[in-house]
Amino acid sequence: MANEGGVARPSATSEDRTDRKQSSIQFKAQHALVLAFFILILPSIFHALAIYLFCSGFLLSRFVLPDRSQCAQPPIELSNGHVPGSHERGCWHPKSFDKAVIILVDALRYDFTVPFRPQSGDEQPHHFHNALPVLYETAVQSPHNAFLRPFIADPPTTTLQRLKGLTTGSLPTLIDAGSNFAGTAIDEDNLIEQLFLAGKKVVHLGDDTWHSLFPGYFEPNLTRPYDSFNVWDLHTLDNGVNEHIFPLLEPDMTGRWDVLIGHYLGVDHAGHRYGPDHPAMTDKLQQMDGVFRRMIEALDDSALMVVMGDHGMDAKGDHGGESDDEVEAALWMYSKQGIFGRSDPAFVEPPAIAKVRPVGQIDLVPTLSLLLGMPIPFNNLGQPIDEAFIGKDGVDYKNLAEVSRLTAHQIHGYQGEYAKARKLDDSATSSTNQLWQIASSTWQRAVRSRDAKDLTWKKAYGAFKAYEDENLRICKNLWARFDLVSMTMGIIALLGTFAVVLAYAQSVQGDRAALTPALLLYGAAGTAVGGAVGAVVSSIAPASMVQLAAFSAVLGGVIATLAALWPVREGLRIPYPSTFWGGLCFLSTLLLCVGFAANSFTIWEDEQLLFLLTTFGVLMLASSLGQNDAADRTFGAANSLSFLVATRLSSLSRLCREEQMPYCMSTYYASALSSTSAGWQTLIPFLVALALPFIIRYHYIRSKNYQGSAVIWVGIALRLALMLIAIFWVLNAADDGDWYPQIPKDTLSQRTIIAQSVLAIAVAAGYATYVWSPPLLLVRTEEAIPETNSTSKPLTVDSNAAILTTINDAPKPRNKLVILGYANTHGTRFFLLPTIWLPALLLVQKPMGQGTLALCAISILNLLEIIDANNLRRSPLGPVVLALMGSYYFFKTGHQAALATIQWESAFIPLKTIRYPWSPILVTLNTFGAHILCAIAVPAIAMWKVPPKLPGLLGRIAGAVATHVLFYSALTLATVVEAAWLRRHLMLYRVFMPRMLMASVVLLLVEFVSAIVAIGGVRWSMVSVATVFGYPEG
Amino acid sequence: MSSQTPNAKTASALPPFKHVDILQTPTSLLYANLQPVLLLSILLFSFKTLVQDPVNTLLGLAPTVTILQGLYCALCLPSTNQAPTTTSKPGQKKKPAKPAQDVWAKVVPALLSLLLVLVLSTPILYIIVILFGAPLTTHQPHTILLAFHLALLTTPQLYYAHGLEAQTWYKLVSLQLPVDELLGMSLGACTGAWIGAIPIPLDWDREWQKWPVTIVVGLYVGAVVGKLLGGYLFKGWRIKLS
Repeated sequence: MANEGGVARPSATSEDRTDRKQSSIQFKAQHALVLAFFILILPSIFHALAIYLFCSGFLLSRFVLPDRSQCAQPPIELSNGHVPGSHERGCWHPKSFDKAVIILVDALRYDFTVPFRPQSGDEQPHHFHNALPVLYETAVQSPHNAFLRPFIADPPTTTLQRLKGLTTGSLPTLIDAGSNFAGTAIDEDNLIEQLFLAGKKVVHLGDDTWHSLFPGYFEPNLTRPYDSFNVWDLHTLDNGVNEHIFPLLEPDMTGRWDVLIGHYLGVDHAGHRYGPDHPAMTDKLQQMDGVFRRMIEALDDSALMVVMGDHGMDAKGDHGGESDDEVEAALWMYSKQGIFGRSDPAFVEPPAIAKVRPVGQIDLVPTLSLLLGMPIPFNNLGQPIDEAFIGKDGVDYKNLAEVSRLTAHQIHGYQGEYAKARKLDDSATSSTNQLWQIASSTWQRAVRSRDAKDLTWKKAYGAFKAYEDENLRICKNLWARFDLVSMTMGIIALLGTFAVVLAYAQSVQGDRAALTPALLLYGAAGTAVGGAVGAVVSSIAPASMVQLAAFSAVLGGVIATLAALWPVREGLRIPYPSTFWGGLCFLSTLLLCVGFAANSFTIWEDEQLLFLLTTFGVLMLASSLGQNDAADRTFGAANSLSFLVATRLSSLSRLCREEQMPYCMSTYYASALSSTSAGWQTLIPFLVALALPFIIRYHYIRSKNYQGSAVIWVGIALRLALMLIAIFWVLNAADDGDWYPQIPKDTLSQRTIIAQSVLAIAVAAGYATYVWSPPLLLVRTEEAIPETNSTSKPLTVDSNAAILTTINDAPKPRNKLVILGYANTHGTRFFLLPTIWLPALLLVQKPMGQGTLALCAISILNLLEIIDANNLRRSPLGPVVLALMGSYYFFKTGHQAALATIQWESAFIPLKTIRYPWSPILVTLNTFGAHILCAIAVPAIAMWKVPPKLPGLLGRIAGAVATHVLFYSALTLATVVEAAWLRRHLMLYRVFMPRMLMASVVLLLVEFVSAIVAIGGVRWSMVSVATVFGYPEG
Repeated sequence: MSSQTPNAKTASALPPFKHVDILQTPTSLLYANLQPVLLLSILLFSFKTLVQDPVNTLLGLAPTVTILQGLYCALCLPSTNQAPTTTSKPGQKKKPAKPAQDVWAKVVPALLSLLLVLVLSTPILYIIVILFGAPLTTHQPHTILLAFHLALLTTPQLYYAHGLEAQTWYKLVSLQLPVDELLGMSLGACTGAWIGAIPIPLDWDREWQKWPVTIVVGLYVGAVVGKLLGGYLFKGWRIKLS
């Protein structure tokens, strides 16, 4: 059929012309509807709403306020005659100690520190029992010098999150959205910063996590950080701390430090390695016991000593979750001044179990601050610990009430600021307001009665404490709980959307484009009705209106879209993999999805993708070798080989994530510790500039499509743009490496102009070519009969199209009208689109990334040829392999599924300052360049070497794009479900949550690019082809 | 759908490919059934040393497996130029004359097949293993020996039974030939090795996760399972790649 209507006849009648006009309008309308479907219904809106729903329940965020507490400005006027503002006497309250030795024993569980008491008759002590008696002994024998209490951590019980709590007094959340998004340093008010700014000398020994949290706050000469990574090593770190801590306690070191922080990791490592019930744990605890006894002896009279655990450990010795064993740590304070008291003499003996009289870990912050004469950090939610302020005899309730009042006012001030910053209404805090009123009036009463008895002060203390407790409870509810309802709604919405994409991509067998208007109409109506119903219901039910409306909008849309398929149910099939390639695509997607439930597979995703892509490559090679047509066999096999080599070659570019060490060596930059390219790497862009246009040209020449605009674009403009990119990166390297010190920096920084001109070529020249170019054909009249033994075969088996087609049109029987490039009209015309995006995407990559992205582009061409040689256009193979490639080359362009690998500096390639919206767009192009390139190339699968008048082509393109999107929605669904399931997993923050966020962002981005750029771009390409050949009938 | 027409056309032009039956003599039947047991027991007995010292163990196993595979070819398989019809009649009496010549007619192709394993299959499979992501700069002896064992289990029987003709091999690698014991064993070995790579990245910190132990285990187990499945359950099936 292709042969007949192949050519625009010069003598077209006016009837033909009106017909053509009509079908042109028809096509454009159909295309617009498909585009609208892809933007509005199919993926983007539904997925965006679903992801919003899930994240609103999952990513509980706390707003970090930049405010700092000031020494001279107590939150309330002081009542005890103390003059605020002096670090010497104490900022808000008279201080008790000049110096402090703070010892953190990682994973010191409470029951390690108290004597073993059998719960039942025959219970025997474990290895971790009775090995560390010193804390308990001192608390019982000299209660004025020491006390020991259970110390409850707020989950997650990971060291990093705990240190934040122990220094800021605030609760942990998944994301502390603050000014410093990428870094780990604490950017809210905290005790260490207060000490540093007050001129105190803080020395730190041990676990280096402190240094990423508080960079530069410690005395550089005396501080000794140790690597906390190696959990198999029980002793190096502890011995190192011991070696350096005892000399500092000598009298001659007085004045060299004010606060000494020692962080021991041996107990934690023994737990991780052996578990708590092991002789190694006994040894370790006994060693700690000896260390503390020595310290007590060496301790100065003016110093406070604190020993605490940051969390406990479970039965296997691991931690991170919120089980009792993991949150129950111990806190012990000691001083030779003997100022500690008990409100009840029975409290002298430390509680037998951690459920009795526990204190929160955040309570340490106000306690330490006031004891050391510091202001309480602004964001603190903890309360002062009784023993430290109640006086020796346990009756000084006036003092206790005073410190409690100070803390309560600090918390109240914080709550006010927080509500103002987040524009919260009063409803969330009404119960605290009531308690606040009671506390204030109780305090007033106590102040007014001049001869107030302890009882009145006790009441005032109790009232403030009640306020602080209630406030903490509300904050925990607000920040530290996953909202399972909205998470479930999000997962259901994702599942429903997945079903719609699956049905559209794999169930529909007829012409998708013809079916789309009905789906669009039903879907839009369903979404609108669902949204309205949700909004109405939420006014009755006690749920958030936005969430309920979003949920029912997606649900309504999904049900309506699926319902729209009902009338055509005969044309549907159950979407199970029925072919070999379909099965392989299903299997590899499934393996990836299941693998994301394991942190190892998530960490090693790049290697897995190489493995899967090579599997596809080898099987495509095998399949090509089985082709009967010799040309197909050779060309298919050659392209498969090229695909395999390109894939393996780009795997040499690696940027390792921390968890991959030591089994991975980064090659993306000059060295593992740098983020600049090596000198030799600047040659890669030149290589790309030479080879890539040549290879694209080769594929165009092969089907005789290297004509007209292709020559101008690929032959000239693309080469120019790529050469400019190479020059830009040489200048960049010269600037980074200071190769030519004699050239002023300003001259080199003019390179942004080069980058801007590359973008101008891509966007202006590229899109102009793409929009207005005619098909890449050459029509020639020839006298002789053209040779028929062309190098190419009939392109699709169901058509007789050939590269060289003869048409008997002219009156002279011997004259032949020959169209060069007929066979791949659609494919080459459309493939201009990915090539005009190439310069923009390559520009923002580092040299190494340009090499791999160019290999990605070559692999895309290989894939198109393989699919043609094996006639697999309608198989899910192409879209799924492209999705795998997008994911794979993401890693090969120097990224990982971790926030730390975002190359922020790519915003400054064409710009010197941050400019919105360009800077975020540039970072997006850099980060997801491979995803974008592959998504744009997807329609080419359906268009490569098909006859120009193939009916239903638009529907096939829509199917390919939907299959591509299907892969990413499967990944998002899997990572979301797994992140919800593993929400208490130790690696949630480091591995699962970043991967889930990345999957969501990639899904939305790919959907956006697929719809706007790819499907939108198809319009010009297909209209241009149809202007010459006419629209397909029917 | 539409691709069936030309396939059928060309398939009729080429000689029809049938699945290969093993010889029906008692010796060959005995050995054909003994071979999986031998392969698995080798793996079982050497597993501990394989984990401790993969290179030397794989090197030490190589001659044994080579002999086992050579015997399998010579004893159980009809060689390329033997018409399969003559062997499929167990009742037919063979000429008792020239037993020595008969033996050589089997031993020489078997030796040639093993030689081809060394010079042809091993390099190709080595490249494929590298393509799949095997370490490029380290562990070279490991990878080469893995490729050799992979080649030993996948290819000698195919060389012996199908010869070296390009058309046949195109059909073989594109899995267009009907499944039999030989193809089953090769495919099983490849699939087993593929599956064997999966546990490597897991953070279980086991000694046996080191390169290439899991793949070797998958390879041997896969070969035996594939041989049994191909020889009995799926005999005569055709896998359609496209």
